[in-house]
Amino acid sequence: MSVIQTIAALCVLFAAAFGAQAQQSPQSVDEISRLIELADPGSTIVLPAGVYEGNLRIDKSVVLDGQGVVTIDGLGKGTVIELGAGDITLRGLTIRGSGSTVDQEPAGVRAFAGPVIIEHNRFEDVYFGIDLRPAPESIIRNNTIVGKALGPGRRGDGVRLWWSDDCIIVDNVIDGVRDMVFWYSENLTITRNHVRNSRYGLHFMYSHGTTLKNNELTANSVGVYLMYSNEIHLIHNSIVNNRGTSGYGVGLKDCDAITVENNALLANRVGIYIDNSPSSVDSYGLIIDNKIAFNEIGLLATPITHDNVISHNAFVENEEQVTVHGRGQLMLNEFSADGVGNFWSNYSGFDQDGDGIGDFPHAPRSLFRSLLAREPNLQIFLHSPAQQAVDLTARAFPDLSPEPIFVDASPLTRPPELDLFVSSQRGSRVPMIGFAVGLLLVSGVGGWVIAHQPRLPVVSDSDLSQRAFV
Amino acid sequence: MSTLPIEATDSPSVTQSGSHLSRVSSVIAFARREFRDAIASRWFLLYTLAFTVLAVAVSFMSLAGSGSHGFAGFGRTTAGLLNLIMLVVPLMALIAGAGSIAGERERGTLLYLLAQPISRVELLLGKYIGLALALCCSMCVGFGLSAGVLAWRVGGVGISAFVMLVVFTCGLALAMLSVGILLSVISRRSGVATGLGLFAWLILVFLSDLGLMAGTILFKLRVQEVFAIGVMNPLQAFKMAVIVNMNASLDVLGPVGMYASQTFGSALPWVLALVLGVWTIVPLVIALILFSKRGSV
Repeated sequence: MSVIQTIAALCVLFAAAFGAQAQQSPQSVDEISRLIELADPGSTIVLPAGVYEGNLRIDKSVVLDGQGVVTIDGLGKGTVIELGAGDITLRGLTIRGSGSTVDQEPAGVRAFAGPVIIEHNRFEDVYFGIDLRPAPESIIRNNTIVGKALGPGRRGDGVRLWWSDDCIIVDNVIDGVRDMVFWYSENLTITRNHVRNSRYGLHFMYSHGTTLKNNELTANSVGVYLMYSNEIHLIHNSIVNNRGTSGYGVGLKDCDAITVENNALLANRVGIYIDNSPSSVDSYGLIIDNKIAFNEIGLLATPITHDNVISHNAFVENEEQVTVHGRGQLMLNEFSADGVGNFWSNYSGFDQDGDGIGDFPHAPRSLFRSLLAREPNLQIFLHSPAQQAVDLTARAFPDLSPEPIFVDASPLTRPPELDLFVSSQRGSRVPMIGFAVGLLLVSGVGGWVIAHQPRLPVVSDSDLSQRAFV
Repeated sequence: MSTLPIEATDSPSVTQSGSHLSRVSSVIAFARREFRDAIASRWFLLYTLAFTVLAVAVSFMSLAGSGSHGFAGFGRTTAGLLNLIMLVVPLMALIAGAGSIAGERERGTLLYLLAQPISRVELLLGKYIGLALALCCSMCVGFGLSAGVLAWRVGGVGISAFVMLVVFTCGLALAMLSVGILLSVISRRSGVATGLGLFAWLILVFLSDLGLMAGTILFKLRVQEVFAIGVMNPLQAFKMAVIVNMNASLDVLGPVGMYASQTFGSALPWVLALVLGVWTIVPLVIALILFSKRGSV
């Protein structure tokens, strides 16, 4: 009896396992194509759970919903999903395994018509992530895109827009791709995206009139790079730790009417880099209410840079607060507007009447810096006492002192209160506390052990030792 | 301690052919005596106090602006500490080393010491080890409190860079102590030795760098030349080592730094440690040779 029971149980188990396996085994994407063919335009298709292999093309306006349990795998060839019609929605899919040939630019999803909605998907091991070329008025939200494990020079873009105006791109997380890049696309909404470990976090090429808000750009080579793009409003973003060899928190290249407002620019190689922005004669650039702190260079600008208003920012402990690329000055820019300048952590004046504005202009002059502009090799002496000796000499002998590269006529003596969006970098304290205690213990206990037990085997006469060694 | 490279010498002061063990123990005894004398001396206490207060103050000040979001500022602390260390630690080590032999010689106590059944090499080694331990202990107090401030205000960000800062600072102190002891051995009077120590400090901290700066501008030195000459200065080697451990490359230091990073790659910290090692061993060996051969006391 018990033997029969056991055999029966085994049979049930085997059947269950076999059934599960059958359900798990990959199917062809033709299954999906068949479902789409049967569906009416505009209907919603909830796909059966499982893995579908191959390259899918959709030319009918449908909603494809994977509910988080459907994977479409391109098996390392070509573009995984191509969208040939507007009004398609892709939702809850895992899309992986595009090709990686540079000339065909294979993508996870490539849309040739708009508008499309791509939401709550996960992209893995794709060369390009989402490529709209063009698909205006599309929505890309709540996607996670992880690029192929290629060297930084060989990756594709996480998201690329090509002539796609009026798109909404929100709440995406993008990791390890080339750029999130916008070509010739106007009036976009780009909010709450997190781009990290990539080349350019947000990259604008000839794309005008967009607001970038509450985005998080961490550990890229460049956080936000705006090129030839006008009327961009960059507000309330967290731009931290973007430290490529020529990396910037924010780079502005030939852009007119840019507003950089209320951002946290922390620990980048360069906080803000301005290369000939604004480039038109009667345009402007506005850099206000930002915290620019702990960067190697706070603000770097080319000598031709002009007509920027830089006020009410906090420049805190950047190794170099403001500097010019090469030789020259930034005198054609305003560092204070309507009697309000910036906070400089290295301001050396005072505020006698207590109105919060320093009584002397902030016009830093560094002889070492001006020597550096002449002879870049001297940078090896940065952070050495000799560098400070050079600057001290210049202060003692004003004849040697160079012209200041900029003047802030009304520097703030207190950091402005700014409501910033910052991702915290606080690590665990325990190792540091342990190290501190360890060092103190080593010096205390070690010192006591060494110093105690006065034992002088070479001198027997204690009287002599008293006289000789005290 | 038992692995100390103690060699038998032909010094006339070796009056007793003690066993290997007793030689080691006499070196240890001298090191302990030197350590006790050092931490009891007013100068040493003053340096320790100054270093500790400055290190803690620098940590506080460079974190003052980091505000409530607790972000970083660690690099700034290290950079601030770097300047402090490069001024104070060589001064401390050079003066401590310079006073060691010359002071005993001037007070006449060197005669008593050499009358003991130990070799001159053992005496000098003992002195070196004692002073080195005293210096490291003194700096550990400052670094310990500074690390405490960081843990309190920032958290555990960048702990490995801080550990390497402590390690390389101890390396710098050992190198400068060697130079100080060499100066002490060749000076008859402690005033002269201290003067030489201050002069060496001035050269290493300021004059050599300023000279190289002028040379770089006047002769348009190439990057490899600037690096080769610059890295010979133990202080520059120390500074580069700290920065390379903090940033993983020397790009901060401009074209010369990039050249160094690209040429040596991941071996760069070891190259820089080697420079400090050479500055530790060569002056000490010369001092040992000179001291063991010198007839006069």
